Amino acid sequence: MAEIRAEMVANVFKVTAAPGDELEEGDAVVILESMKMEIPVLLEEPGRIVSVDVFEGDVVQEGDLLAVVG
Amino acid sequence: MTVIDNRVANASTEPEDPRNPRVRLSVFFDAGTLHLITAEDDSAALAGVGRVHGMPAVAFANDARIQGGAMGTAGCAAIEAAYEYAVRERMPVIGLWHSGGARLAEGVESLHAVGRVFAAMTRASGAVPQISVVLGPAAGGAAYGPALTDIVVMSQRGKVFVTGPDVVRSVTGEEITADELGGADAHGRRSGVVHVTAPDDTAAMVRGRHLALLLGHQGRMRTGDITDVDLGNVLPESARRAYDVKPLVNGLLDSPLGEDSLELQAKWAPNIVTALGRLGGRTVGVIANNPLRLGGCLESKSAEKAARFVRMCDSFGVPLVVLVDVPGYLPGVGQEWEGVVRRGAKLLHAFAEATVPRVTLVTRKSYGGAYIAMNSRALGATRVLAWPTAEIAVMGPVAAVRILKRKQLAAVPEEERPALEAKLAAEQEEAAGGLERAQELGVLDEVIDPNRTRTALAEAISSVPPARGSHGNIPL
Repeated sequence: MAEIRAEMVANVFKVTAAPGDELEEGDAVVILESMKMEIPVLLEEPGRIVSVDVFEGDVVQEGDLLAVVG
Repeated sequence: MTVIDNRVANASTEPEDPRNPRVRLSVFFDAGTLHLITAEDDSAALAGVGRVHGMPAVAFANDARIQGGAMGTAGCAAIEAAYEYAVRERMPVIGLWHSGGARLAEGVESLHAVGRVFAAMTRASGAVPQISVVLGPAAGGAAYGPALTDIVVMSQRGKVFVTGPDVVRSVTGEEITADELGGADAHGRRSGVVHVTAPDDTAAMVRGRHLALLLGHQGRMRTGDITDVDLGNVLPESARRAYDVKPLVNGLLDSPLGEDSLELQAKWAPNIVTALGRLGGRTVGVIANNPLRLGGCLESKSAEKAARFVRMCDSFGVPLVVLVDVPGYLPGVGQEWEGVVRRGAKLLHAFAEATVPRVTLVTRKSYGGAYIAMNSRALGATRVLAWPTAEIAVMGPVAAVRILKRKQLAAVPEEERPALEAKLAAEQEEAAGGLERAQELGVLDEVIDPNRTRTALAEAISSVPPARGSHGNIPL
């Protein structure tokens, strides 16, 4: 299990994955919005999404859990 | 891979103990080129000269078969001999590390000897390239040895720590394995101590050889040989959208990041990319904001990472290519308290001090304090280029009008605000002048077509005489 956490304070602009999705390395789980930029959060290794822990419009702090990948 | 690298790859079939330092040195150098310059004895260190892709170099290796490679007076003298030779003959020096540190049995004598090695490394800093390849545990004094050098490569079997897991457990009660404490992931991702990681000893040596060659045999830039590719297609359609800058770095260099071009500290402070590679056959250092991570913002770690890289390149006369797409410095309490001001100042200092040819290319945005820090004209950039998509400003036009025109915006009903904001932002963009104004001011030299990026950068680097800073490379 790998936890994907926010690297910076941001708004959750889009959630692009759902539990059960099989994603490849480089696929986006969510897209954050910060510093007037849309920043996709990408998987570093392939995996299946166990949970997505944020909703669109949420404000996340640095270190907040975004998703869990199995 | 070259023939020589294949030989390295096949070396594991040799029957000798792979920890034998003579075996390690002969595997590291081109076949049949090793000449020992110190005696094979029980000092647990051995030094020799040889060739790396034909380039003369000096290397030393610990002997992990004797007291775990622990270094006493004699072993340290062998390493000092390697350094004396390298500095005298102006050759790169490579350390193949596998040592528990200072020899306990020799007491203060061994501490003094290890200290002398550190002093020799520091004297050589900036004079000759120093590469460390960590093949096994390198603890205590053997940890600070690599850390004092320019670039640290770590094999998957390598570990670096001041005190090992046993001492950590007895002092702090923390349970951790040696690999978790000081392995490639710990130092590649968390601490930044290791610049390049490799899956095994062979790959670590191959990377160490390439790095030594890139710094030690930089070659001449042949601008006529450069073929251009359109690099503009790496940018997403939306200016707001983040993207990975590495395809741009790959396309810019003669060969993509991986074997002949190497990214340093790839997983640590990944919002800035630092890489050594070749452009037109000549070694260059590339520094690039990576919008995919933290939006490409500068922050304390990335400023420090870039500062060290700039100083290393400057001390060896490696020209710099600076690719700018930066929305600013990352705001936050954590950043301020982490010393983003002190660490950011290192980057300003490093660029302002640098004498090597250093060319800036603004691909998209370059805002605020980060604009200054990314090798701006004011800091002495040799040449500042921009793609037509570039914006150079204190901040984006929308952000600017939200501050400058806040009263005017607040005075209109909320539903009319977006339209007014857009109109004011367009006016602001025109007033601020964009790239034309930057050119008039002399802070931007030329707007270039992305399809001639490689040629434009190479010509800019070649337009000034080569230079080299006269300073060491303190491990910032």
